[in-house]
Amino acid sequence: MAYLRTAELKRLSGIRDRSARTLAAEAGDMRVRIPMTVSLAVMLAAASGDRCAAQDSRAAIITALQEAKAKTAAPYTPSRPERVLVAVHHEFLEDPSGFYPYFASVYSGGGFTLGAGYRRFYGDRTHADVKGLYSVKSYKLLEVSTDSWGHADGRLDLHARAGWRDATQVTFYGLGMDTPNDPSNFRMKQGYIGGDAATRPVPWTVFRAGMSYEDYTLESGDGPSPSIEEVHTPASAPGLGASPKYLHLSASGGIDTRPSPGYARRGGLYEVTYHNYADRDDTYSFDRMDAEVVQHIPILRENWVFSLHGLLRSTLDDTDTVPYFLMPSLGSGSTLRGYSSWRFRDLNSLLMSGEFRWIPNRLGLDMAIFYDTGKVTPQFRDISWKGLASDVGIGIRFHGPFATPLRIELANGREGTRLVFAGSAAF
Amino acid sequence: MNEPKKHRTSAIRIWSGIVALLIIAHASPSGNGRKFYDDDPLAREPESQNASAVAAWDINLFYDLAENLFGRPGDPGPAPHAGDANTIDEVPDSSWFTNRILARPVSVDEASRGPLTGTGPAPGPWSVVQEKRAGFAPGLTMRDAKGDLWFVSFDANGFPEAATGAILVANKIFWTLGYWQVESFLVHVQTDQLVVAKSAMVRPQSGKERPMRMSDLEDVLKRSHRSADGSYRAIAARAVPGRPLGGFKYYGTRPDDPNDVVPHEHRRELRALKVFGAWTNLTDMKAGNTLDTLITTADGRGAVRHYLQDVGSTFGTGANAPHDYDEGWEALFEGDQAFKRLFTLGFYIQPWQTAAYVKNDSIGRFEGDEFDPAGWMPRVPTAAFLRARADDTFWAARRVMAFSDDMIRAVVKTGQYSDPDAEALLASVLIQRRDKIGRAYLPAINPVVDVALSESGMLTFGNAAVAARVAPAPAGGYVMHWTGFDNDLGVPTGDLGTSTSMETGQSQAPAALPSTPGSYIKVEIRAVQPVNPSWGTPVSAYFRRAGGWKLVGLERIP
Repeated sequence: MAYLRTAELKRLSGIRDRSARTLAAEAGDMRVRIPMTVSLAVMLAAASGDRCAAQDSRAAIITALQEAKAKTAAPYTPSRPERVLVAVHHEFLEDPSGFYPYFASVYSGGGFTLGAGYRRFYGDRTHADVKGLYSVKSYKLLEVSTDSWGHADGRLDLHARAGWRDATQVTFYGLGMDTPNDPSNFRMKQGYIGGDAATRPVPWTVFRAGMSYEDYTLESGDGPSPSIEEVHTPASAPGLGASPKYLHLSASGGIDTRPSPGYARRGGLYEVTYHNYADRDDTYSFDRMDAEVVQHIPILRENWVFSLHGLLRSTLDDTDTVPYFLMPSLGSGSTLRGYSSWRFRDLNSLLMSGEFRWIPNRLGLDMAIFYDTGKVTPQFRDISWKGLASDVGIGIRFHGPFATPLRIELANGREGTRLVFAGSAAF
Repeated sequence: MNEPKKHRTSAIRIWSGIVALLIIAHASPSGNGRKFYDDDPLAREPESQNASAVAAWDINLFYDLAENLFGRPGDPGPAPHAGDANTIDEVPDSSWFTNRILARPVSVDEASRGPLTGTGPAPGPWSVVQEKRAGFAPGLTMRDAKGDLWFVSFDANGFPEAATGAILVANKIFWTLGYWQVESFLVHVQTDQLVVAKSAMVRPQSGKERPMRMSDLEDVLKRSHRSADGSYRAIAARAVPGRPLGGFKYYGTRPDDPNDVVPHEHRRELRALKVFGAWTNLTDMKAGNTLDTLITTADGRGAVRHYLQDVGSTFGTGANAPHDYDEGWEALFEGDQAFKRLFTLGFYIQPWQTAAYVKNDSIGRFEGDEFDPAGWMPRVPTAAFLRARADDTFWAARRVMAFSDDMIRAVVKTGQYSDPDAEALLASVLIQRRDKIGRAYLPAINPVVDVALSESGMLTFGNAAVAARVAPAPAGGYVMHWTGFDNDLGVPTGDLGTSTSMETGQSQAPAALPSTPGSYIKVEIRAVQPVNPSWGTPVSAYFRRAGGWKLVGLERIP
């Protein structure tokens, strides 16, 4: 044992008589302060060397060295990085109750947003949360919620939440595809309370139902562009001046074969959702149907993935008055990525996206080249392949097995190039 | 001045390594010139100190993975010769390793029995005392009717016999190779056999520990594969002797174990996992799959024994599903590979993306056609893996090559696969990969082995590469250069002459060999083989006159 070659011995014996600090510099050019315990150990080693010379067997030499180590043996002390990482691991994974950073959007167009939450489990898989967000544009969100997962043999998830949102400068460009790139803005405050349930009778199906009470208050915008009432009338911005309150019912059903909605390289989603917005004054009630298709087509063991997305939103009765702020829209980091948030609004919308993804690292890094196209229309029959707005772009996504916490994309449309930062998958 | 804090951890580890190397250097006879001692070569690594004060630790999985994936823990210098190898370049028995195959005859029956010393869990009701908290396989901890403690893990739902078969086979292979292994038995669990103990606790998603309920047990079984007869095939692993201390790291030494003086990244048996891991596709080498226990020696001292506790993520399967396509080919993160893929839009194609696999749910993704031993990579490379040298991989490859076809087939049979195709597939791929390992590592350096010198002066030796039929005999034969050797000064003395041997591995020493008891000689043996120029680097063998001639030293790489 411990039979080192001559060159190694020369290197080591050469450093034997030098100070510990000098040794540190030679060992790894590390400008560090040598811990006292290690310095002592070095000295002990040197001392043991003298004794070793007097030994007459290999076993005796090793025994002497082990005796020397026994004098300094001490339990392992984790380093600071290790302590920090272990604490983070404990705080967020082993003990998910407690405070956590919260990265999400208050409302599209709010800009860079930070937040925090506090979670407390009160069942094996049931927790209550309080969380808040604040953006650079002073968008705010406060929400209390409770989520309970895995009922009915793991097939039923229940959620309930109540909150308040304040979007101070939501842009409005007018209705249709031919609006100038010259927005106005409005402030939207929304209080809400509701719940929903999602069930998967078999793993590849998903059915959801939800009900919520939503109280909207619309005010003049705080943004740099003119406030909406200075530019538009109720004719060009239906519902302008109104602050409706809704009972919002929704139901959906579909097939979902993706490993996770937050990140997938295979599988697909085929889902139809029905929304009923019942205005308490029955002035602005409307129904909407959404149909969404996602299909990921992996190639060569998921080395590449063609990902396709289609989303159709249609107000069911063209004669309903849908308030301007609840109309289907295009333009944002998750729809037409080359256009600013809420760029196009009308009663119906069609979005189609295609991505060519490649996977530099399967643990956490995807790249994508994408193409988005879509349009909004006042009537469903106007949905067609003509007059579409489109963009192309490239993106980098940092992901985990089930989520995409950071997506950075550069998209170019006819109105310029936009940089997208998002904390979720594109689709 | 944040830098000192930033690098403090690395510095401590570096210095731990340096301290150990200093210790080793002082232990070396070269400190005063003497090269060999009377007890060389050691057959057993001394463990002289009482280690009973060693405290249990918990190596955090995330930190361990991050440290090994994105850092380079351990000795920052070039890898030195294995620190635990003895003077004839072999690994002595220790609390880490026991010489079995190659070092002594191991029968097929012995290899097939592996670490098993007794029988499995006693029949009757099994009391579930805790959920399974390590690893991803569905499982639980239980006591059998005799009160013995067992760790039970099931096959994942949809993958019958995969995880359990892999554990059974890998368990025998790694025991035969020399590692401390857990006794693992195949059991078929009936649900009415299981009773939840009153003291049993679980830690659900909430993180709050609470008493275990029957529904928790049902949740485990739902994730497990149920056989047609309603039973669950599982592995029952006997609790190992001694007090569990947590795993071991693949670098540095355990700071509170006085007997642990060789940095783990320089331990040959840990470096050798580069070869053994490649052979068996042991992709999950993390510290969490190891276990140290504190045992009591015959003379009443405490000693730390080191287990490769979980070798189940082997061949083509993991705990819950087949290996990912890139498992065994690429680490979870390799910057250069990622950059190449990034800038080529993914057109940087690697063999794992095209390798063909025989579909078999019990074996998973395990193949030999595209297998490249030198390119094999675990999910997270260990510090010891990264420091494996040619003499380490040569040492390991000889042991892999010592597994005969019959032994491999017999060991695979212990996996008790109900599908004969699964058994045949696993055995054939192991044989194919074994041969590739031999071809990759045995001819890579001078493969002269088993050097001996008879009292009459007849030198004999073998050629591991030629014997394994992975390289032709050296066209120019072997050339031996004989010198005297002054052991007190550690230097060769005068030339004794040169001899040659064409193919036989036999050569008569020069007549001038010293006859004084205690005298030393050195003979350098090189092979003249143009297709293997590395064989020209001589192997140096040292003999001491003690009655006959005893081999006391062997240096394969200077």
